Amino acid sequence: MFRIRFHGRGGQGMKTASRILGSAFFHAGYEVQDAPHYGAERRGAPVSAYVRADRRPIDERGIIRCPDLVVVADESLLAIAARSILAGIDRHSILLIVGHEAAMVWQERLNVPGTVLTLPTDAPRFSGVACAGAAARLVGALGHDAMTEAIGAELAGFGDKAVAEGLTLAEAAWQAMAPHAGCVSEADELPASRHAPPEWIDLPADPVDAATPAIHAGATSAALNTGLWRTLRPVIDHERCNRCWWICSEFCPDSAITVAADGTPQIDYEHCKGCLICVAQCPPHAIRAVPEQGVTP
Amino acid sequence: MTDSSFAHLKNLPKARQLAGGTPMCAGCGGLQVLHQVLDILGENTVLINAAGCMTLLANYPYTPLRGSWLYTAMASAPAGAQGVRDALDILLERGLPKEQDLTVVVLSGDGAAGGIGLSAASAAIERGLDFIYLVYDNEGYGNTGQQQSASTPHGARTATCRDLRRWKKDLFAIWTAHLPTYAATLIGCEPLDLARKVEKAATMKGPRLLLALAPCPTGWDFDPAETTEIGRLAVRSGIWPLKEYADGRVTHTRAPHDRLPVEDYLSRQGRFRHLFEPQRDAVQLGEIQAAVDTYWNEIRDY
Repeated sequence: MFRIRFHGRGGQGMKTASRILGSAFFHAGYEVQDAPHYGAERRGAPVSAYVRADRRPIDERGIIRCPDLVVVADESLLAIAARSILAGIDRHSILLIVGHEAAMVWQERLNVPGTVLTLPTDAPRFSGVACAGAAARLVGALGHDAMTEAIGAELAGFGDKAVAEGLTLAEAAWQAMAPHAGCVSEADELPASRHAPPEWIDLPADPVDAATPAIHAGATSAALNTGLWRTLRPVIDHERCNRCWWICSEFCPDSAITVAADGTPQIDYEHCKGCLICVAQCPPHAIRAVPEQGVTP
Repeated sequence: MTDSSFAHLKNLPKARQLAGGTPMCAGCGGLQVLHQVLDILGENTVLINAAGCMTLLANYPYTPLRGSWLYTAMASAPAGAQGVRDALDILLERGLPKEQDLTVVVLSGDGAAGGIGLSAASAAIERGLDFIYLVYDNEGYGNTGQQQSASTPHGARTATCRDLRRWKKDLFAIWTAHLPTYAATLIGCEPLDLARKVEKAATMKGPRLLLALAPCPTGWDFDPAETTEIGRLAVRSGIWPLKEYADGRVTHTRAPHDRLPVEDYLSRQGRFRHLFEPQRDAVQLGEIQAAVDTYWNEIRDY
């Protein structure tokens, strides 16, 4: 059985990648599961999707714990969600990272037992199709036509132009992966001992007034670090800021810009999601966007 | 509106009621409006949340709110508000100090407000329920992937329609036909207009509608940084009229005298891209422009 996981950010097309790869497998006669990891799939937030494909009926369910191939659409995610991305990678696994860093660098930095490959891209917004094209080449079990037909079917609703763009990106990824074609190996059926016990907690039946969830303090969401969603960071140039005080703070949806009594605004990077409304709205252009990459979150 | 305490932008509240850390999308126009409204209503507010994007607002054990929150199914937020209002009234009768009373606010998306929950809202207005009904209208079922809702506009693409051929349901007109105490349209890019309306609604009793257009980067397909700009284009093109209803009369509060072509608004959003590519759809664009022109030509109050 092939077990493939896609990791990316909401909006990059990880669900689309899993759909394309799943459809390609299906039309090639495989039994298939493909699904996104359901949760708060928000633009910019870490998301994942997976594909299982086998010639025999698939009895396995749920999130893939022992992947044959892991595709990471955005290398900046490795700094913030490495634990879930690298989960279950062993010596036979292939880790494909989309980005400009060299494979050797990642191999050393992550110290993973499997093989690391990289796929440079200039179109990170639509990397889902590229990921699907690359994954199709790496698994080796799928022909070129199977990939292009699946892309055509998946993107048809967005018009001919989107299909053409998608095919171009997927083709480039397909070609780039030629030296590694078919390097993904199907792992054997997992022995029962390798199945992790379910991570559940037994909850005894409490009386209703005790069992009903209640939150006894306000503004507790401040404990959640949504700053991790950011790919671009707004930075205020206090020399240029004219202390109008209200514009950046008022328009920030996430209450992430506070203003001191003297009118100096300050950005709360724990919660700023990097929407950059403040950058677009600041009249004296005193806020600029800098890439988050390389900045320690 | 001359007696408003929001004469100037500098009068807008500086303190934020809503904490960060919500799971709303980056650049969410609905969250922008919610923070602006709550900053004026203050802490003594209880939100009755119809299922929708804001379902994820308070996710146990985390909440961005300083006040209370009650979650209901899509169809029953006004019924939930009735229960909360009744309970508060009973507590007041039993001696709850008046300053501890809460403003009851239903928070609903357009899917619940204009479709699934419309019947319950209609009945609540009919009963004269003392509540505010705040709608973040992102013109589709956003939380589940932007499927078509009653509020989806003419010509838009959603996950379930390619090029919609029917007009957006007019929730403001439906509400005012019920003769409520107050109704107003809002938008996050006009915080002063919003503040004055929310302040006015807060002083009144009875059913009050605050209907906000909520530009949605995820569902409408534009860059999150453009949320405020897209809203401004909706106002300046006349697509989103800012108005209020009080004492049986509708007044327009920000009428764009030199209206921009609707294309300036439509062409910035992926959900209307098929009207411009591969060929410009002059017929459809003409229909949308004509509908906006007809609306404003029939208005006499500005």
